Amino acid sequence: MIRRETIVEAMYNAIRLGATKMPPDIRRALQNALKEETDPMAVKHLEVSLQNADMSEKGNGLVCADTGFPMYFIHAGAKTQLEGGFGILKECAEEATARATAECFLRPTMVHPLTRKNPGNNVGPGMPKIEVVFDRDDDSLEILAAPKGGGSEIFGTFYRMMFPADGEAGIKKFVIECIKDACYAGKVCPPAIIGVGIGGTADLCMSMAKKAALLRPIGKKHTDPEAARLEKELYEASRKLGIGPMGSRGINAVLAVNVDVAVTHTAALPVAVNAQCMVGRRWIAKIDGNGNIDYTGEME
Amino acid sequence: MAEIRDIKLPMTEEDVKSLKLGEMITVSGLLFTGRSRLHIRAIEDNIYPPIDYEKINCFFHVGPVMRQEEDGEWKVVSCEPTSSIRFERYGADVVRKFKLRTLIGKTTMGPATAQALKEVGGIYLSKIGLSGNALKDQVKKVHDVYFLDELGKTECTWIYEVDHFGPFFVAMDSEGNNYFEDLAKEAESKMPEIEKDLGIPAGYDYTEVNAK
Repeated sequence: MIRRETIVEAMYNAIRLGATKMPPDIRRALQNALKEETDPMAVKHLEVSLQNADMSEKGNGLVCADTGFPMYFIHAGAKTQLEGGFGILKECAEEATARATAECFLRPTMVHPLTRKNPGNNVGPGMPKIEVVFDRDDDSLEILAAPKGGGSEIFGTFYRMMFPADGEAGIKKFVIECIKDACYAGKVCPPAIIGVGIGGTADLCMSMAKKAALLRPIGKKHTDPEAARLEKELYEASRKLGIGPMGSRGINAVLAVNVDVAVTHTAALPVAVNAQCMVGRRWIAKIDGNGNIDYTGEME
Repeated sequence: MAEIRDIKLPMTEEDVKSLKLGEMITVSGLLFTGRSRLHIRAIEDNIYPPIDYEKINCFFHVGPVMRQEEDGEWKVVSCEPTSSIRFERYGADVVRKFKLRTLIGKTTMGPATAQALKEVGGIYLSKIGLSGNALKDQVKKVHDVYFLDELGKTECTWIYEVDHFGPFFVAMDSEGNNYFEDLAKEAESKMPEIEKDLGIPAGYDYTEVNAK
């Protein structure tokens, strides 16, 4: 049985660490990008951003002031038991988010969409976002906290319902145009991680794009060879745009293109794109059945 | 790389004219912050911070993370410039209303703001990388805050005194030139070749299902 206070503690620390540390795979990818860029502005954008991440790590500052949308992606096992049941996960996430906001690890950013009123704690209908999947066979609870910046979500979200006749050419045209538009003037804070969802329903398609952008370590390819081929072709195409870090002249508009697929209606070809910014914030808290918490920035 | 110039705020017309597109600079002096709500309210409702815009003439597009210390003093936890292109609907009117010579933000702004900057003799500076931690250390004093209760810590207006704040680069000069628009044209010109490499037929278009 995992206690309620353990869950809140794990969520709070995961979102705090997410806001203050750059994940190691993202840092390695940015360092590799820095080696490739030659334009002085492109180089400077990356040098400054890596220094900024160092400063936040040392001084408990923030990797980016826009801590954005608070989200928790949770994995549970068949034998996982929570004090109070799984229904408490939402209030645990609210408590953890409000605490991290009060302590200035998260900026109070969530507002009502119509009144624009800001409750000051990042908690309201639908936020923080939590998603639970039961895909483990043990008694653990794994929480990935992802504070996602506005730039990448606002300027990096695209959806198009295409048709079977639009074919792979349509998918590729849509994605490369999305990358060009998203990276214009550094809107999504490139080098971005581009998540692409293909198939499913409209909401599943977008959800796949988001998870492909946020939850996959850099360099990991899709197991479906067709999806992996698209990832490679689109990544290579993005490097020919002439767009680099923060929209400067360069090569690295993106760090990775991650595709995911789902079966879809025989009449449909839905495609969604969701971008993650260069800091790629996410941190993981793993709670075992005895309530021990282990934190890591490394994805499997 | 050449030494980065520091320009005193408020900028003079001569300062502005001397700045070249793509040049990296820092600024020192007083600035005010704001984002969507300031733009909308200033133009739609004529509500804006009652400051002397001749003296505090630099508009920093940002929603900082702010912490109030036990003695009541406000400290900047982080300040990362926010995307200015979102404000384009009101950007030109705000520049004209306050005769702003210096805008600092992220991304760029559109043709209407470029025209307004040309009229008042102003420039737009865009951020270099993510640098919220360095920038917060360059804020020497938080002088004042307006509309904190109404708008909250993120959207309200803070008055900062900054020292060697930046670096930023000139993304729009006072002649109406835009660093990013030039780059966008270059990227656009590469699209036909990229599409060809991806196997997209020339003149390809998506299936149209709506009345034209």
